Amino acid sequence: MESRILKPALGLYVALFLLFLYGPFVVLTIISFQQGPEGGPQFPIIEWSTYWYRHIFGLTPPSRIAPLPFGEALLRSLTLAFMTMVVSTVLGVMSAQAFRRKFKGSGAVFYLIVLGMMVPGVLTGLGVSLLANNIIGIERHWYTTAFATHVAYTFPFAFLVMLAILNRFDSSVEEASWSLGVDPWTTFRKVTFPLIFPGVLSAMLFAFTLSLDEFPRTLFASGRDQTLPLAIYGTFAVEIHPNIFAFGVLTTLFSFALLSVYGILMAMSVRRAKKMAMQEDIE
Amino acid sequence: MRPRTTGEVDLDTSVFRLDGVTKRYGDLVALDNATLDAGENEYISFLGPSGSGKTTLLRVIAGFEAPEAGRVFFNGKDITNLPAHERGIGFVFQNFALFPHLSVIQNVSFGLTHGKSGLNAAEIERRSLEMIEIVGLSGMQGRGVDQISGGQRQRVALARTLTMQPKLVLLDEPLGALDANLRGRMRNELRAIRERLGVTFVHVTGSETEALAMGDRVVVLDRGRIIQIGTPGEVYGSPASPDVAHFLNRFNLFEGKLAKGTFTGPFGAVPAAHAVRSDRDIYAVRYDRMQAVDPSAPVSGPAIRARFVASEYLGSSVMNFFEAGDGHVIEMEHHLSLGAPQTFEPRQDYLLTWNPEQAIVFGREVA
Repeated sequence: MESRILKPALGLYVALFLLFLYGPFVVLTIISFQQGPEGGPQFPIIEWSTYWYRHIFGLTPPSRIAPLPFGEALLRSLTLAFMTMVVSTVLGVMSAQAFRRKFKGSGAVFYLIVLGMMVPGVLTGLGVSLLANNIIGIERHWYTTAFATHVAYTFPFAFLVMLAILNRFDSSVEEASWSLGVDPWTTFRKVTFPLIFPGVLSAMLFAFTLSLDEFPRTLFASGRDQTLPLAIYGTFAVEIHPNIFAFGVLTTLFSFALLSVYGILMAMSVRRAKKMAMQEDIE
Repeated sequence: MRPRTTGEVDLDTSVFRLDGVTKRYGDLVALDNATLDAGENEYISFLGPSGSGKTTLLRVIAGFEAPEAGRVFFNGKDITNLPAHERGIGFVFQNFALFPHLSVIQNVSFGLTHGKSGLNAAEIERRSLEMIEIVGLSGMQGRGVDQISGGQRQRVALARTLTMQPKLVLLDEPLGALDANLRGRMRNELRAIRERLGVTFVHVTGSETEALAMGDRVVVLDRGRIIQIGTPGEVYGSPASPDVAHFLNRFNLFEGKLAKGTFTGPFGAVPAAHAVRSDRDIYAVRYDRMQAVDPSAPVSGPAIRARFVASEYLGSSVMNFFEAGDGHVIEMEHHLSLGAPQTFEPRQDYLLTWNPEQAIVFGREVA
């Protein structure tokens, strides 16, 4: 009785939600196939073409529309996201590992770490830029000051993911390893790490994606050379052409590829985790 | 080297020794001044209810927990501050704690491969396969640990520990996860392995039958204290305290008062020539020493009137349950080798009687 009304209603809700989520992307995709170079970012489509995709890679004859200045920004952003991912994940795993035992002041340290994702990004960015400029007196760069803000921002996410994973971790396998004469570091490499790897993957994904499209912190802290989100924003200020949309489609596809790799790696390690769960079942 | 306390003389005969080991978790005293000596090639059972500190004691010996006070000696050395991986003491977990991402042989060879054995790969494989054969898992070395049964996992856990050739192996209720049939078989196998390899086993269990069956010596723990150490015969025949008698689950315990060689309980006054010193006055009669007769029949010894409730058939014996006036349940075991069991009418009263010389009396006042 209840489900006859509730189920369709919830179904409709989910459908609307998905439409809302992917609607912009669909519009973006359609417009990216607009004719060029005269066609603008509006309906109707004058003629379907891949002009703007070719434009991004410089394969079109020169026109009044300049190619997107994204090449270096993209490389910068990817490098920055990668650096951030590595550092935040390593820090996240290490600090979550430390929190497995209670230590003096662990409560305070916990909140200090988590604060990094709570503080408004604009404030962090502004603060770091003031600190660098006026107090320490160093130049701002995407790989120094901006990098630091990215780590401060993504590290709490990696930390929380790893904390959740390690909370459920049955430490008797580590003790078993020690009792076989294997030292704690080798035990971590050969037992703990393979078993928490799904969590490490998730932490890496979080750190990478959060860093890749970080805007407010980077805006103030990155100095002269722009990252991709800043570069995209910069082009909005002039005039919008469908090449931005084509670029958006390409980056989205890139994200999907990234997610697929994540999914495959995850499925591989989940199979391992299942074995672990099965072992716990017989307790 | 730190100054040593007493008892260093006989270190050469003992494999491990505990000296006043105390461990607290906040206000909870998990171990209170535990002192114990274990010889070579001995099988020791730790018996106690959950929360008695038996697992904590095992974890202190293994080096997973550090005691607040007291010392632990192993092979003549003070290992109290030695980390677990440098102790050379094997540990078999209740949940087996196999490495789920590794195969059977990778589990078994783990310690030799990643520890300080210094052996080459061929030698490690030879030894691991040999141990897999000893525990009866030949042909399964390539399987994942999720592809074998509970009993087989238990053997992998054991083989993994034994390949390291430790002189001491700690077993934390390793048979608890197995069904009764498998448990019996594993018991025999543990004995056989031990005789073959000459290892000292310390086995923690909450099952009194397991402790009595497996141990050369039984150590009874209660609330963090060791309350009796002895052979199974000694512990069973003369429990040191009412608590021990209670854990053995083989005694009817009656409260009462011991004064001037007479115990006064719910069954009246009974002469008690010998009494074991205790903090309470308790009269204990083994289940299989009880007899039930018709209420009108004459009895020579002490007797208590009780109503028959139910009986349980246990294969080799029958357990009868009676209820005395105050709700106290009295159990009576009849071994079927002694003849067919009596049949009792439900809700009928009977007289339960026993030979007072076979009873054990605990009391504050000892003649």
